[in-house]
Formats: sequence, C-alpha cells, structure tokens
Amino acid sequence: MNANWAAENLQTIRTLMERSALYRRALAPVMMLTGGVGVAAGLVGGLTQCDSPGRFIRFWFAVAAATLTGALVVIRRQALRDKEPFWSPPTRRVAQAMLPALLIGLLAGLALLFAGAGFRATWALVPLWLALHGAGLNAAGFFMPRGIKALGWAFIAAGTLILLPILIWPERMEFRLTHWAMGAAFGGLHLAYGLYLRFTEKPDAP
Amino acid sequence: MNPEPFLQLDRVIHEKGRLAIMSLLAANTELAFTELRDTLAMTDGNLTTHIRTLQEAGYVAVAKSFQNKRPLTTCSLTSAGRKAFADYITLLEQIVAQTRQP
Repeated sequence: MNANWAAENLQTIRTLMERSALYRRALAPVMMLTGGVGVAAGLVGGLTQCDSPGRFIRFWFAVAAATLTGALVVIRRQALRDKEPFWSPPTRRVAQAMLPALLIGLLAGLALLFAGAGFRATWALVPLWLALHGAGLNAAGFFMPRGIKALGWAFIAAGTLILLPILIWPERMEFRLTHWAMGAAFGGLHLAYGLYLRFTEKPDAP
Repeated sequence: MNPEPFLQLDRVIHEKGRLAIMSLLAANTELAFTELRDTLAMTDGNLTTHIRTLQEAGYVAVAKSFQNKRPLTTCSLTSAGRKAFADYITLLEQIVAQTRQP
C-alpha cells in the first residue's frame, strides 16, 4: 500500500471542499456597474446643488441602494443563465461577510442624518464609509477568488488618505469635494478593478 | 502495517470522481448539477452516472425543481451519505497515522 496515497486523497478532499465554498460568479460586470454608477454619482453630486449634509447622506444612500440593486440583478442574471440557484451557499457567505460593515455604514449615516450633523462631521463620513466598505470586501474576500481582499485594503487606504487632509486642513475642505472624493474613491476603485477583471477574468471564473 | 482500515474503505466513495462529488456536497447543503459539473470539469453523462451510483447507495439525494420556468436539478448529501463520508475520512486519517508510526 502506498503510504502517500491516503494523505493525497485527504488533501484532494480538503482542496475540493475549500474550492466549492468559493464564490464563482463573474465579478467584472458587477464591479464595472458599481464603479460606473459611483463615478457618475460623484460627478452629478459635485456639479449639482447637492451641497448640504442631509442631501449628501440621502444622495449617497440612494447611490448605495442603486448599486446594490444593480449588482444583485447582474448576479441573478448570471445564476439564471448558468441554471444555478441565485441564493447559493457561497453567495450567502459573501453577503453575511459584508453585512456587518455595510450595516455600520448605514447606521453611521442615519445617525448623522437624524442628529442634523454639520459639514465637518459629514465630511468624516466619507473616509468612514470607504474604510467600512473596504472592511466588508476584505471579509468577503475569504470566500471569493482573485484579489477582493486587496481591493478591500485599497478602500481602507483610500479612506485613510482622504481622512488626512480633513484632519490637517479642516477649514480648507469645501463640502462639495465630498462628492468628488466619493466618486473618485468608491466609483474609481470599483471601475478600475472591474476593468482589470474584464481583461483578465476567464468566462467561467475562478 | 495493519491492512484493516484499507479494507474497510467504502468502495462507492473511493472512486475518484465520486469522492470529488461527495467532497463538494459535504461542504455545501446542496449544489446545482451544473455547479458540480463545472467545478469538477465532468461531462453531463459522466456526472449523471456517478450521481446515480451515489443515489443508489443512498448517499445523495437529487431534487428537480423549476426556477423561473427553467429546470433546476440540485444534489445534496443524505444523512447516510454524510456519515459514510465522515467514516471514509476517519479511515484515511487512520491510514495516514499508521504510516507515520515509527
């Protein structure tokens, strides 16, 4: 009897079990849609009169709802095309991993909205939202292939970078810049990652 | 070396393709036929044959339903299948442990 055979079989079983737990849907369309909507929202918010804290928070809640809905529609279409259940165990795991960070972001926004927060407090929401989104992606990355954890860290880094000028030059931070910051970071990072995947992701990922 | 654990290995699970199917199903409550096929890079016919063997052994349950007017076939481990898979792994671990003994 080959001494290595049983150990190899156990390794095969372990690999297959880990692989089956991974989320396998194509991410490029979801990332590009989210990024596109995010960049467009940054432009719309920055160029229009959406320049009060309350309007800013409501506007980006709407953007978040739109991108989330759009992403779910894309994922559902992929599931239907592949004749697979939409709410599959990997999808459930990814949703469960992201949910706490997204909920905290929602609660922070609601708290500032109902407390009637001022411009500076609302400015601080931008790095907080970005970092929380990054934390959610990083957590989901344990159940997803291909660099989602790195994208999560990129969001956390972007949040940190945006926080620095808020701390150093609070009086110079025009409120309208919040939209540009959100558009560039939230939209830009998703779009860049989506484009990267678009040209590197195999049709039947992973 | 004691050959007893090797002789006790479940021959239904031991085949490479069926072992892979059992491994995937053990990690999930259920999986669509297409997910199994794509993950394991098997043909429809090959996968159907293995699933039927596992079904006849009482290890796998197959459910057919419709999702948005499209047929959806899902597979899951039965409690007997889960136990057989756990026993199989225990035996493999025993074999590995035996080979490591001085």
